[in-house]
Amino acid sequence: SMEERRYRSASGAPIALRRRQHSASCRELAVRCPRLQLRSLSALTSAVWLAAYGLFVLSENSMVLSAAIFITLVGLIVYLHFVKIDQESLLVIGSLGIQVTSSYASGKESTTFIEMGQVKDVVINEAIYMQKVIYYLCILLQDPGDPLGVSEVVPLFQSSKPRLDCLIEVYKSCQEILEQRKTTPQSS
Amino acid sequence: ENSPAPLPERAIYGFALFLGSWFGFMLYLIWAYVPETWLFSLGLTYWPQKYWAVALPTYLLVTIGIGYILLFGINMMSTAPLNSTHTVTDNYAKKQQQKKFQEEAIPALRDIPISEVNRMFFLPEK
Repeated sequence: SMEERRYRSASGAPIALRRRQHSASCRELAVRCPRLQLRSLSALTSAVWLAAYGLFVLSENSMVLSAAIFITLVGLIVYLHFVKIDQESLLVIGSLGIQVTSSYASGKESTTFIEMGQVKDVVINEAIYMQKVIYYLCILLQDPGDPLGVSEVVPLFQSSKPRLDCLIEVYKSCQEILEQRKTTPQSS
Repeated sequence: ENSPAPLPERAIYGFALFLGSWFGFMLYLIWAYVPETWLFSLGLTYWPQKYWAVALPTYLLVTIGIGYILLFGINMMSTAPLNSTHTVTDNYAKKQQQKKFQEEAIPALRDIPISEVNRMFFLPEK
């Protein structure tokens, strides 16, 4: 079963949360970020090219124009491939682990898998970020030596930054799967 | 014992500081404005260059301006990043003793783990 709902990111941009239940112990939660706006892309390109044309008029050097075109093209490709994230998804498989995937605008996907033995809990944490206090979802990794200790914090949905209402939905979905760990002890 | 009330000793300290600061200010004005030849004729030949009468206040003001930006930057650098365990716990919480629960007694003060706090806030009680 699949459902999709609209929310807002911390900065006010519209985002969409898609929940898919693959089985009783497997759930996928994907947050889709707003796509690159054509008007902001055109505005930025026009500004850069007009500035380059102004420089060309002042300096009479045509290399300025070709450099501006080259920089705009390369900058756009680098931005789409390394910076602009289209979708961040979380796949929670009950006895196996948690997989975090980021899909970039160029089609690149970067995946991280954390096995269930290392996962202590998935929580909503509050922290100071650039003169604001934000809520963010994170995976707490178990400290092998100390059963109550946290060895690492893995923040999730870093570029879409959903607000608390979306985070609560994701949190509840994850907790339903993680609770099954206590009732069905692993044989490993 | 340590009250902020006005005392005779404090009045004397205040007046001494007042006289001292006026004396210092007059000395600075004399150093900055009285021509060098006049000072030499009085026998005061080893005073610092008058350049410093302008340079030191400028240095001070620029340092204060940089200090604003520096303090802001130091604050931002000391803030724990989002992926650090310092946002969740710290040394005191890790080493805290877990006191046993006693019936009808006020529970001991302790740092509640974040998992428990989350469950209380976000999972509705059935």
